[in-house]
Amino acid sequence: MKPTGILFFPAFDWAISPTHPEREERLLYTRDQLFEEGILDLPQIKEYKPALALFKDIARVHFCVPDIEKSITEAHLIAAGSAIKLADAFMQGEIKNGFAIIRPPGHHSMTVSHGNRGFCNINNEAIMIEYLRKKYRLKKIAVIDTDVHHGDGTQEIYYNDPDVLFISFHQDGRTLYPGTGFTNELGNGRGYGATINIPLLPRTTDEEIHYVLDNLVLPVLNDFKPDLIVNSAGQDNHYTDPLADMCFTAQGYALLNHKLKPDVAVLEGGYSVETALPYINMGIIMAMAGLDFSNLREPDYNPQRFRESSSHLEYLKRLVEKQLSVYQKRNETVAEQYEKAGEKFYVEEKSIFYDTEYIYESQINKLRLCPNCPGYRLIDSKARHRDGKSYHIYCVSIPVNCCDSCHSEALRAYKDISVSSFYDIVYLQDRINDEYISLNKNSGIEKVL
Amino acid sequence: MIIGIDVGGTYTDGVVYEKGRIEKTAKKTTRTDDIKSSILEVLDELIVSRKEKIQRLVISTTLVTNIIATGGGEKTALILLPGHGLPHELYDISENTFFLGGSIDFRGREIEKINENEVINCLKTVKSSGIKRIAVAGKFSNRNNKHEKIVKDLCLKYYPESSVVISSEVVNKLNFPRRAATTYFTAMTAKEWHTFAEEIKAALKARGIKAPVDVLKADGGTIPLEKSLQIPCETVFSGPAASTMGGAALTMDNKNSVVIDIGGTTSDISLLIEGNPLYASKGALINGNYTHVNAFAVHSVPLGGDSLVYFEEGKVKVAPYREGAAACLGGMKPTVTDAFNLKYNLNIGNPEFSHKALYELSISSGKDIDVICDEVVEMVIGTLSNAINNMFKEWENEPAYKVWEVINKRKFIPDRLIGIGAASKAIIPVLSEKMNLPYFLHTYSPTANALGAAVARPTLTVNLHIDTAQRIASVDPGGIVTVLEKAENFQLEDAKNLALHFMKKFGEERGMADYINDFVFYQEEQFNIIRGWDRVGKIFDIEVQISPGFIPEYKGVVS
Repeated sequence: MKPTGILFFPAFDWAISPTHPEREERLLYTRDQLFEEGILDLPQIKEYKPALALFKDIARVHFCVPDIEKSITEAHLIAAGSAIKLADAFMQGEIKNGFAIIRPPGHHSMTVSHGNRGFCNINNEAIMIEYLRKKYRLKKIAVIDTDVHHGDGTQEIYYNDPDVLFISFHQDGRTLYPGTGFTNELGNGRGYGATINIPLLPRTTDEEIHYVLDNLVLPVLNDFKPDLIVNSAGQDNHYTDPLADMCFTAQGYALLNHKLKPDVAVLEGGYSVETALPYINMGIIMAMAGLDFSNLREPDYNPQRFRESSSHLEYLKRLVEKQLSVYQKRNETVAEQYEKAGEKFYVEEKSIFYDTEYIYESQINKLRLCPNCPGYRLIDSKARHRDGKSYHIYCVSIPVNCCDSCHSEALRAYKDISVSSFYDIVYLQDRINDEYISLNKNSGIEKVL
Repeated sequence: MIIGIDVGGTYTDGVVYEKGRIEKTAKKTTRTDDIKSSILEVLDELIVSRKEKIQRLVISTTLVTNIIATGGGEKTALILLPGHGLPHELYDISENTFFLGGSIDFRGREIEKINENEVINCLKTVKSSGIKRIAVAGKFSNRNNKHEKIVKDLCLKYYPESSVVISSEVVNKLNFPRRAATTYFTAMTAKEWHTFAEEIKAALKARGIKAPVDVLKADGGTIPLEKSLQIPCETVFSGPAASTMGGAALTMDNKNSVVIDIGGTTSDISLLIEGNPLYASKGALINGNYTHVNAFAVHSVPLGGDSLVYFEEGKVKVAPYREGAAACLGGMKPTVTDAFNLKYNLNIGNPEFSHKALYELSISSGKDIDVICDEVVEMVIGTLSNAINNMFKEWENEPAYKVWEVINKRKFIPDRLIGIGAASKAIIPVLSEKMNLPYFLHTYSPTANALGAAVARPTLTVNLHIDTAQRIASVDPGGIVTVLEKAENFQLEDAKNLALHFMKKFGEERGMADYINDFVFYQEEQFNIIRGWDRVGKIFDIEVQISPGFIPEYKGVVS
């Protein structure tokens, strides 16, 4: 039997700021627990050394403003690189599954990154997924985001992509950051129906989350038949998390991973550094390695403490039924929508707030509505950074599953826009040719990755 | 003069070192069932009539390894207090394991009280099964050993005939299973090690030798025989440690080297990184259990100079065992040494006997004698070079938990191979050519392991974990848990000073006061404990070490 891969990178010398939840101490007690249990010594476990991501791996997903160097620290390169390294080990057949216990997190980072949002600068899972799609030609991927916060970054990156199923359950956006993840966010274009949100009411329990898992997540996965299942393994649904208000336990998390059987799990949030993280991380490792986790529990655990309420269950039943029917009818709905649209582009204006850095970004997003492929994207984005500089950028994003005609159309669009002096920076993200260009119109410097 | 004796699996080697020269060497076949006699045989050959001049005697022995490997040792009960977490059946260390309640968390807080009646009942069962030796280990006892101490007190009260050892007093670092295994092996080997020490002392007394006797530990440092009684477990693998120290003793420089000790039936490979021996990151692996025994990273390959060459199922094979010495050295059967001897005209012993033994194999196998030699050489060199390359990779791929550790990528670029052991002269030059690396062989390569033991200095590692909010400082070794004064203002410097204080204290207790000022800090970590938005304390992890090295009078040896 192959071992479970663990890549533990607690970044003991990195913090957003000394007292920030994303500080050196975050995984300190997790280290104590994992080392004391001796779980990394077991033959069922293989520990991996962290690795650095390449700038190209980041450019495959993000448009970093003003550039990658200024947007991230070495810690970000290691977190993303570590997810890639573990995924590589999985694809090479060295391990049966893997869990990257890494910081800093990434699931709030969107395609355009003007700075830090919800503690994230770059999206570790998306960077890993695009790397795998390029290297191993993986076709269908599922991301199950079990962080208490809506995985809005991952959702945005794959919103138009029918081949990446994104399911997020999280505390309701009316009561928690980032204030999104409602049931009507279902994907767009050909990606309609491949985004599923399950907003949960505060104080939701193990049993209720497992209701969603058993009745919605697992049946949808069974139908979607992904080549790879990724768990965005946030741990802040726990009953002791200081930033959220849910009632999930370490047992609940372990059982979730036992049922979900993710190929790769990547740590996201979770800020109850003493009372939750050491136990949840143990639980996830044990479940993924096939070890009996019935003896695991938090010191103050009381199975009688959290009872599901009938109103919660009623709400969940309706929600699951509704989302299941959207998913099942998604192909018909997409066909209808394309017939009705009649336009070449779907245009949407958005404003995005970066809570950590107080940046307001305004975006105009154009999605090419193509009869043959998910279509490319044109993004016009403007934001004033904390240093007072304003950036107006234009991005051309070509997905890996783009058709030939859209590909050449998008390349022409980039060529046309790159001669205009209207923008500070223009970008081309060509995933077909695996080529990534940024052209700074002010300095005239062009970087090709 | 200084004497070093290294008891290996096949041979026991000894050297007399005096004023920069090796005055005498001796090599005898090891009697596995009577290690004491093997040591004395070599000793008697070395000293002849100069007993009064002996300043120091260092012994490196596989005795403890043998006790553990053969399932010998005293029948010992292992009492575990594992609390919640991994399933208990994973703690598969002793046949006589007992589980008790009570648990502690990572900051030393009591989660669940210990039930004294349960302990007393457990002790009754142990007593009725006739077991007198008890090892106790609790999860996170390195952060708070209250429960372990309760069990110990109850043992003294309800089962005074028993001897009990608790893990926090043996080793006080994180990793419960390794602590449990280390404590268990320490307990089960204590009695035989004690007997061995007494016998050696008596034998030396009978010979009129008054010099201090030291034992080589797995970490390449020495400890007085008397002090080793508390930690017999640390002499496990002192054989390979002697080879590594021998390699360093012959070269005495800052190069990156691969030390290969080619013994009778095993080859031990270790690395010197800029002259310093590399440690095993997980502690010594004993009987399939990782332990907290600080040991060099040694990769053992079941292949040596005396390994039998034979023919089976149409193939020439190298056995993992020997049937006597090499034919050229008086043995009856062809060995690895004979194949190298013949192929490269090495003129070892009587080459005609190498030829004769291999010729007989050639007749019975129908294979050409040159083909047999080629195949043996290829197999040996391939196995060794693979093992060496894997060691480089393993070291480069050790986990890393900090940004700077990942950014500063490790790469081991070897400068040379150092050959140790009887058969190194035959094999190392060929390996060197294949690996495209220079090699180093010394007149005293065959007994360099004994030299390594003779001139090694004492070592000591002190680990200190401080939690100012809990007001605890836990020390390894010792398990002392003190309430910190002035915890509010405790800084990294204070933590380092406290670690040094313990280093001095233990150093003096172990009779190594002369070396105390040679300390190096290997770890100095500090974390702010933030609750809400305020700092409520600090956590420090400090490691300070007197690293492996040589006694001051040793400056190298002329060939």
